[in-house]
Amino acid sequence: MAFGILMLGSILRFISNGWVYSMYIKPKLFFPYYGFEWIKPFGEVGMYVVFILMAIAALCVALGFFYRVSILFFFLAFTYVELIDKTNYLNHYYFISIMSFLLIFLPAHRYFSLDVLRNKNIKATHASNYFILIIKFQVFIVYFFAGLAKINSDWLLHAQPLRIWLPAHSEMPLIGSFLTKAWVAYFFSWFGCIYDLAIPFLLFIPRFIKPTYFFVIVFHLATSLFFNIGMFPYIMIVLTSIFFSENFHITIINKIRSILKITKSETEQLLYTPVPSLKKAVFSLMCIHFAIQLVLPFRYLLYPGNLYWTEQGYRFSWRVMLMEKAGTTFFFVRDKTTGRESEIPNCDYLTPMQEKMMSTQPDMMVQYAHFLKEQYEKQGMKDPAIVAEAYVTLNGKASRLMVNKTTELSAIETNYKTKNWILPQNSDN
Amino acid sequence: MQAGNNRVFSTALLNIEMKKIGLIITAFFIVVGLANCKKKKGSEEEEDPAAAYDKTAMLTNYADAVVIPNFQSAKVAFDSLAFAYNAFTQNLTEPNLLEVRQKYIVAYIRFQHITTSEYGPSENELVRSNFNTYPTDTLQINSNISSGVYDLATAANIDAKGFPALDFLLYGKNKTDAQIVSLFAGSTNRVTYFTNCLAEMQNKLNNIITVWNGSYRGTFLNSKGSEIGSSLGLLVNQLNYEVDLLKNGKLGIPLGKQSLGVIYPEKCEAYYAQTISVRLAKECLNNIENVYLGRSKNGNDGVGLDDYLDALNVQHNSGTLNAAIKNQFNIAKSKLALVNEPLSQDIINNPTTVDAAYVEIVKLLVLLKTDMPSALGIVITYQDGDGD
Repeated sequence: MAFGILMLGSILRFISNGWVYSMYIKPKLFFPYYGFEWIKPFGEVGMYVVFILMAIAALCVALGFFYRVSILFFFLAFTYVELIDKTNYLNHYYFISIMSFLLIFLPAHRYFSLDVLRNKNIKATHASNYFILIIKFQVFIVYFFAGLAKINSDWLLHAQPLRIWLPAHSEMPLIGSFLTKAWVAYFFSWFGCIYDLAIPFLLFIPRFIKPTYFFVIVFHLATSLFFNIGMFPYIMIVLTSIFFSENFHITIINKIRSILKITKSETEQLLYTPVPSLKKAVFSLMCIHFAIQLVLPFRYLLYPGNLYWTEQGYRFSWRVMLMEKAGTTFFFVRDKTTGRESEIPNCDYLTPMQEKMMSTQPDMMVQYAHFLKEQYEKQGMKDPAIVAEAYVTLNGKASRLMVNKTTELSAIETNYKTKNWILPQNSDN
Repeated sequence: MQAGNNRVFSTALLNIEMKKIGLIITAFFIVVGLANCKKKKGSEEEEDPAAAYDKTAMLTNYADAVVIPNFQSAKVAFDSLAFAYNAFTQNLTEPNLLEVRQKYIVAYIRFQHITTSEYGPSENELVRSNFNTYPTDTLQINSNISSGVYDLATAANIDAKGFPALDFLLYGKNKTDAQIVSLFAGSTNRVTYFTNCLAEMQNKLNNIITVWNGSYRGTFLNSKGSEIGSSLGLLVNQLNYEVDLLKNGKLGIPLGKQSLGVIYPEKCEAYYAQTISVRLAKECLNNIENVYLGRSKNGNDGVGLDDYLDALNVQHNSGTLNAAIKNQFNIAKSKLALVNEPLSQDIINNPTTVDAAYVEIVKLLVLLKTDMPSALGIVITYQDGDGD
């Protein structure tokens, strides 16, 4: 229910901020994920319809009204929207996709829901602990991997990028002057790392749940104060409440009951027992899901070089707030028949957001180069080659070339092979 | 939200292990906390430059010593251009035309000092596109003049007004001074068109100054953060946008950088005057440097982005980022100094000289657009433009 309300809030925020337009209607090209190139946005009306239906689905999930259909639709629609353009990738959107996927299989509508009012037969007061464990384990993975990712020299030894981000808030009342101190950045870095690694374990200890949850609230409110990270802190705060005992949740439900003046009807215990064959299928599916979850963040080990520089195997790994990365990328079209060259104004094809993301992410540069090549072929250039100069700065180090003009980006295939053409980020400064 | 809970997984063994882990972690927190307290005491004697840094002082310097004075001095130049033009319309002579051109050049130069401030009221008035969209559409200008019916505020006239239109009206293409005077003498519509173009700019500039002197100064000073839309964010974004315009609009596009090497002399800024394109580019670069340094027109170097970078002790390779940026300003200026008037000729005669200046401005852009904002926690939200 809480998930539904939060999602409703998220979707409404998304629509009211005009992001549907700026992210899915205005752009002239999109950066799809490898293997998902067939996913295309609908037109203006279509995208708004999708978002409105998503908001309705989120509301239905919250009310427990046609729960399974609603959460299934929500999962598909949300994931569809996210797959359109990797420009908009955020760990927390990925998290929402996964959560809504997991919730499809949970009997979250069998108690205190409109579905129960519709059909008393589905009512259940008790369910196997496995169901809750699924969610808990997912939350565990998110925190733990976020913590693991923080064990790197930039984060722990140089307190980057917090040494850049915190002083930017030096105008804040009371705490402002502290934020410029190096030790504060170190403290936040180490605290964040230990927090992420420790919290998932501490949450499992019922005796510690209250102080642990207090830490959760403080931590996430602090991050929302300092960083522009939207709904994520609130999502985590609410979701970690799953670790409280059932009494805590029943108390909340009873409170809502008394506000809505609904009287509790039955007192007998009803255990939810799914069909055995279905149970088996779900169990296998969950095993596969979590196996992938545990392996995916480590895929970067297959690539050489600095993960944060090349971003090969960066996404879908709960690496949050680890980089201050910015780039300026100049694209050029070269007419191979004449050898003449032109710079391409990125604003002709990309939104500011797309340009910003593309300028630091090599895989997007290749996709953009392919798009540009097509454009110039359409305009009648016989043999266009797209090259680029990408200057990138990472965590306070001087900007340097990530891609130079010797690489014909438009001739590079989009795949998961090592991108040898990414110039190394020398670690000598 | 789940009902029911059989705690089958909290086995006793697991619980004990977790308590141990919990204790270890708690101990670690305390140790780290103590270590940090110690550190805090130790570092209190050292002067922390960033802590001493005062964003209010920087924003105040920008508002009171850079932005507002630049708008005001532009206004003075516009007013004297209007005065000279009025005298010219009373008495259509060649000396009076030359006087108008003189004032036009001063106004165009002062305009280069206000473009970096396109936020707040200046953004509302869309100064860059309303004052300086070039190349100008001479057909549209002539048709407006001959019909006498036009609305300069419409999008169709965006490239038929502002400085580029004045440039065309004052100089024409291959016209002698006498011919220009007789063109004005032969058409009251032409006289009025010039007046209307100039009046539109004056009105916008007056509005901007009124709002800055009214509520906007306070708004600007009170927004002390670094987030998107903060004063500092706007300032850095517009500063960079101007570098982009210098790179593309003033130099790159005429030089053929976006047209497979095919040059476009007529796309130079102030193309018809044939004497000030390079001068305007230099003034533009000087102004960008002044804004970076927080330096006022009279050369007073106040608190600016350079001081902020130094206060944060931002490094760049073996030196500081501020030193690297200042050095790059000097290199770019020295290369631009080698470019001759008129630019529309020099891109034909000395393309490598112009290209050398272009290359150094690109390097400056990378430092200002990538390294500086990243070090200050500022996000670049504008997009590279290809000219006004």
